[in-house]
Amino acid sequence: MTALRKVLLTFVLGTVLLITSCSNQSPSRFDTAQQDSTAKGSSAVVSESQSGGSFNRFFPDESNGYKRVYTQEKQGFAEAKLKKDGKEVAVLSISDTLNNPSAVNKFEQSTETINGYPAVNQGKTGTAVLVGDRFQVKVLSRDNSFTEEDRKTWLGKFDLRGLSKLN
Amino acid sequence: MNKPIFELVNELPTNNVTVMMLRSLDFVVPGEWQNIVGFENTIREVTGETDEEMIQAIGDRAVWLYNDKSQGYQRAMWLYQTVDRADSALGAAALANKVGDKIPLVGGLLSRVTPNPDKAQAIDLTIKLVVELVAFCQINGIPGDSIGDFVAALGEYSGESLMRMAALVCVDGLIPLGPDFILKAQSTLNNLSPQDLSSNPAFSRVSSLIPGGNARGQLDFIGESFDSVKGWMANFVNQRDLTPEKVFSRLQSFIEFSESKLDYVAAFLDMTTNYYEHTGTQTLAARLIERALAEI
Repeated sequence: MTALRKVLLTFVLGTVLLITSCSNQSPSRFDTAQQDSTAKGSSAVVSESQSGGSFNRFFPDESNGYKRVYTQEKQGFAEAKLKKDGKEVAVLSISDTLNNPSAVNKFEQSTETINGYPAVNQGKTGTAVLVGDRFQVKVLSRDNSFTEEDRKTWLGKFDLRGLSKLN
Repeated sequence: MNKPIFELVNELPTNNVTVMMLRSLDFVVPGEWQNIVGFENTIREVTGETDEEMIQAIGDRAVWLYNDKSQGYQRAMWLYQTVDRADSALGAAALANKVGDKIPLVGGLLSRVTPNPDKAQAIDLTIKLVVELVAFCQINGIPGDSIGDFVAALGEYSGESLMRMAALVCVDGLIPLGPDFILKAQSTLNNLSPQDLSSNPAFSRVSSLIPGGNARGQLDFIGESFDSVKGWMANFVNQRDLTPEKVFSRLQSFIEFSESKLDYVAAFLDMTTNYYEHTGTQTLAARLIERALAEI
């Protein structure tokens, strides 16, 4: 009898475990993005956006021991690492806000400019400028030695005027 | 339906045979790999941001980018997932049999493992290398057959990507094929016919995404890829003075095996680990999050 009860108990517990482990994942704060981005006809990148390769020539040149390494080149986006003494100190990027229009909203709060273009700080490590109301140029610190001032200096080294003509 | 990227990253294990193996290989690339799991955690690690609104915006954009099939991320994920062929039941059995911190490679466990012949192992190594090349290009956006760009980028590999290459060299090269694994792989490729390639299981699984058009063209692509990467691999081994003995001795931190069963160690790891999928998911998530941060 005890043996039978043991078997039954194991069976019941096993079933409960199976049911709970097969139930859906707990809700995630990214569920809405998941649903919207998998809806029919949705896309994260539009074909009118500039090719990533067309941005490369507007990046700053290497100087003063800084090395620039291109790392990503996708539709509407190009990225390079900035390295000093072999260490990554910053990430430089240009992106086309046609792919993510809400990115321009933060520039409404801009109180300063770099080479005439509106600039804002974003988060702990980023500074961005908006060129021609369309292209976002961003520098992100990847090391504490690379300060907000450094970010602004490097933003000024991009060929922002050239980029504005791509519009 | 494909799993959301946040689920894939959330479900990465914190400790299994794959993680134990990668930890034991830390001596090859000291400090490069931390087992970062969890999507939000990855966002915090990659970006250094702690503001909840920022984390939400970055994560949302990353989800959108991943789900846009034109962006290549899902193809890369499929490649990383498909090239591994871990037998999760065997992995679980191995963990269940642990004595202290070690898995004894004996008895029933041993009988379920069959060593690969050298030829199949050499093909596996070259296929994994080509998968890395194609996945790299899908993630970072360089045209799919740009071997030169990939070789230049290898020199810049760090973190989990460098650990993946370290594991490839150790576990799919040095351990199963010995110290002259590069020569062995090269000579296998030189003598391989398109028919041989087509009948290899590792190739069949991923062939739809290997450039080249047909088996002949794909064999050429694999040959050229291997040719251009072998110098990098040889340097990697020489600079670190890596030998099968050194790797075996580190693997003994979590598997117990006798000298007479060395053949079985590579086969056991091949069947119980999915280090390409594990570190590939970490690489993909990191690049996706970097791009999302730049675009928001």
